[in-house]
Amino acid sequence: MGGESLNPDEVIDARGLYCPGPLMELIRVISVKPVGSVLKILSSDEGSAKDIPAWIAKVGQQYIGTEKMDGYWELLVKKVK
Amino acid sequence: MEKMSVVLASDEFEKLQAGCMMASVASVSGVEVNVFVTMAAMTCFRKKTVADRSFPKMGEVGQAAIRKKAPLFSDLLLQGKEMGSLKVFACALALDLIDAKLDEMVPLFDEVVGVATFLGKAEGGQVLFV
Repeated sequence: MGGESLNPDEVIDARGLYCPGPLMELIRVISVKPVGSVLKILSSDEGSAKDIPAWIAKVGQQYIGTEKMDGYWELLVKKVK
Repeated sequence: MEKMSVVLASDEFEKLQAGCMMASVASVSGVEVNVFVTMAAMTCFRKKTVADRSFPKMGEVGQAAIRKKAPLFSDLLLQGKEMGSLKVFACALALDLIDAKLDEMVPLFDEVVGVATFLGKAEGGQVLFV
């Protein structure tokens, strides 16, 4: 995994959307990005902050991590397939 | 492919919201989803009812969902169809009983079927009855 850039190729600002809005926005974007893309998604919905890693695991993409910000969460995901 | 079926039988708004959320999230997670709309639920899919948000049974949570513009159950189903493998079936009996045609309903139905057909589609997968 060494040497991989964690700088996102795209930031998806889904703050203000209700569950499952942020997940749906992520899926919309990840489906059209090339393999290898790193996406950052911002969610102010706590349910989505937990749901997104669950979805990533279910569909076999790579979950990089979550960071709690002030009033929202930042999640990083890499498209690996 | 993993399979799930959701039977929507109630005209309680919150139940429709919950059932359609399950269906759409399952669909975008790679699950094959079949939704069967039957009995009282059918009335909530009329174009006019959806456009006016005039659902017959709405509690505190449902009213808040409308007020805060949370995605409506019909939009959740459309998202599930667009981004996954989700089909929506209308119960022939329910349509007959309320003298309604499919073109009076929001345009998200794939087919009008009877229970036997739906059971065939649901066979081998889990079924949620809402």
